[in-house]
Amino acid sequence: MRWNKLALGLAVIVAFVCALAVSSAPREAQLTVYTAQASYSLPVIDREGRSYIPIADLLTPLGATSPRLKGKEWRVMMHKTELKLTQSNQKAVIGGHPLDLGGRVLVEDGRVLVPLDAALPLLSQLLNTTVDFHRSSRRIFVGNTFTRYVAQLNDGDRPALVLSFSQPVKPDINREENDGLLIHSDKTTLSFHKEPVVSDLTTQQFGDGAIQSLVFSEENGTASLTVTGNKSLEIIRSDDGKTITLQPVAPVASATPQTEPQAAPSADEGPRRTPEFFVMIDPSHGGNDKGASLGGKLMEKDITLRLARELRKELEERGIAARLLRDSDIDVGVERRAEITNEQHAGIYIAIHAGPPGKGVRVYAPLLVDSQQPLAGRFLPWESAQSRALNQSQTIAQAITTELRKKGLTAVSLRMAVCPLNNIIAPAIAVELTPEDEAAPLPESQKQQNTVAAAVAQGIAQVRSQMAGQP
Amino acid sequence: MIPRHFQITVALVLLAILVSGVIIIRITHKEEAMTQQAAAAAPAAPIVEGKQEHIQVLVAYDEDQALRWRPADVFLPADRSLRAREIVRYLLAQYLQTPSPHPLGKGADVKDIYFIHDDTMIVDTTAAFADGHPSGILLEEMTLASLIETVTASVPGIKRTKFLVDGKERETLAGHADLMSFYQTAAVHEMAKEFE
Repeated sequence: MRWNKLALGLAVIVAFVCALAVSSAPREAQLTVYTAQASYSLPVIDREGRSYIPIADLLTPLGATSPRLKGKEWRVMMHKTELKLTQSNQKAVIGGHPLDLGGRVLVEDGRVLVPLDAALPLLSQLLNTTVDFHRSSRRIFVGNTFTRYVAQLNDGDRPALVLSFSQPVKPDINREENDGLLIHSDKTTLSFHKEPVVSDLTTQQFGDGAIQSLVFSEENGTASLTVTGNKSLEIIRSDDGKTITLQPVAPVASATPQTEPQAAPSADEGPRRTPEFFVMIDPSHGGNDKGASLGGKLMEKDITLRLARELRKELEERGIAARLLRDSDIDVGVERRAEITNEQHAGIYIAIHAGPPGKGVRVYAPLLVDSQQPLAGRFLPWESAQSRALNQSQTIAQAITTELRKKGLTAVSLRMAVCPLNNIIAPAIAVELTPEDEAAPLPESQKQQNTVAAAVAQGIAQVRSQMAGQP
Repeated sequence: MIPRHFQITVALVLLAILVSGVIIIRITHKEEAMTQQAAAAAPAAPIVEGKQEHIQVLVAYDEDQALRWRPADVFLPADRSLRAREIVRYLLAQYLQTPSPHPLGKGADVKDIYFIHDDTMIVDTTAAFADGHPSGILLEEMTLASLIETVTASVPGIKRTKFLVDGKERETLAGHADLMSFYQTAAVHEMAKEFE
C-alpha cells in the first residue's frame, strides 16, 4: 500500500516535469511568407553558423516545380524562369544570370538548402514583383501584401479599444492575468500567424485606465498586438473579421443591456482551443486559366470569384468561418488546390464553377471512379482520398439543392468525377452556376449570384448544425 | 483549198475543247483538296477489313443534358484494340458532324487505343480532342461517359479506362473532368445513370 502511494507520487512528479519541459521548449524557428493568395511558413535550420531554408518549401507554394537533379545541378522551374543551384556553390543562376546567395548551397537527404538571406533576391527575381523582407522577424511580404490597422480608444464608463484592420483577421488570443496585492494587471496578446499585419507604430499609450497600452511586435514569422490594462478584457470580432474590439468584461449582475455592436462570434481564445472548423471556398480557374466562356467578355474565372466572395460573406453572417482558396486573379493548379485544402484541415470544401449548358444551378457530389484500397497506416490513396467523407459530401449536396429549390431556383444534384473533389479528405462538393441569360444585364446576374450564395450558405449551416449535434 | 469559215469553226472547236479540259482539271483538283481537308478534320472512315456489326452507341445530347443509347451499324475488326478504336472514331464522327448533338473541337480524334493486362484500356487522344473541347463540368463528363460506356458495351472485359492526350497524362479534359484517374467501368456506369 505504502509502495503504491510512492509510485503514484513519483508518476505525478514525472508527468509534471515532462509537461514543464514541453511547455517551456523554444518554438522552432520559422520563416513566414505572405502572398495575396495565401500565407505559409517554413522551417529555418542552423547550419555552419548560418540560417538556412529548404528551397522547395519556399518556392513550391508559389507555383515552382520541385528541385530536380540534372547532372550536378538542381533545377527549379518557376513561371518559365529556370533556377539552377549547385551543391557547395555560392552562386545560383536565374534565367541565365548569376546570383550570389551569400553562402553555399547544401543538400541533405535530397533536400536543397539555401541561406535564409538569399530568399529576398531569389523571390524578387523569380516573381518579378516587389518583395519585402523583415529580416529580424523572418517575415516576407510578396507584392505589397500588407494588412494595416488603426487603433482607437473610445473613452467612457466602459472604455473600448477598437482595432480596425484593412483585411479580415483571425488572431490567436492569449491572456495573462497578474493579481498583485494592490493592482490587477491583464495582458491580452493577439497573435497573427497567417495575416501579414504590419505597423509603423510600435507602442501606443492610453493613460492608466482599464486599457493602458497597445504594443506591436513581430518575431519568428508572427506579428503580435499586446494590450495591457488593469481589468480583464473581452474580445468581440465584427465587420467580417475586420474589426476587433477589446473592452472590460461587463459585471455579471449588471442589468444594463449590452449596447455594443452586433456581435459577432468572439475570437477563439487561449491555448485550449480545438482546431477551428472552416469552409474552404475554391473559386475555380483564375489567371491564364479562364475556364468556360459565358458569352461576350464574361469568363468563368470572374463569376466564380465573385460568387465565392459573396458565399464567404453569407457564411460569416451565419457564424461559420470561411476562407477563399484564391482571392485574386491568379492561377492555382487543380492538385495544388486539393493540397492546400488538406494541409489547412478544412471542414468542408466547396468548388465554385460556372458554365453551360442548361439553366439554374447544378450541385455535384464526388463520384469515386478510381477506388483503391486504403494504404497501411494513416495514408490515403490520392485518387480516392475522399472515400471516408463521401456520405457527408452527398448529404451536403442534397441540403444545398433543397435550399436552392426553396428559393425558386432550378437545381439538380449529380455525382461526378469533378477535379479535385476526389483528392479532398474533407466533405467536398462543387456548385456550378449556369448563366441565366447570356444577354442578361449585370444586376440580374448579380441578383442570381446573391440568391445562390445565400442558399448554399443556408444548406451548409443546416448540415453544420446537424454535424455539431452528432455524438 | 479549205474554206476560211471552216478553218475558223475548227479552230473555235479546238479552243473550246482546250478550255473545257483546263476547267475540268481545276475542278478535279479542287474536289481532291476538299476531300483531303475533310479527311484531316474527321476521323478516318471505318476500315473495310472488318465485318459490319449492329452495336449500341451512347450519344450525348447537350440540349437536354442527356445520354441516350442509339443503334448503329459499324465495320468492326476482330482485334480488340482496333475494334475499340473504330467504335470511338464512329462516336467522334457523330459529334464532329454539323449539326452536332454534342459539338467537339475540330480535329478531335483518337491516336491509338491499347490494352494493359487485357482489362485496362488506354485511350490516347489527339491534342485537338482536349484543346478544342468545350469547357464545362457537364460537357466534359458527358464526353467521357459516352466514350467509355459505348466502348465497354461492345468490347467486353474492360474494367478500367485511362485517357492520355497526345501520349501524355493531363490533369483535366478542359478544366473540369478528371483525366488523371483510371475510370472503373462500374463507376462510369453509375455516372452515366446520372444523365438518364
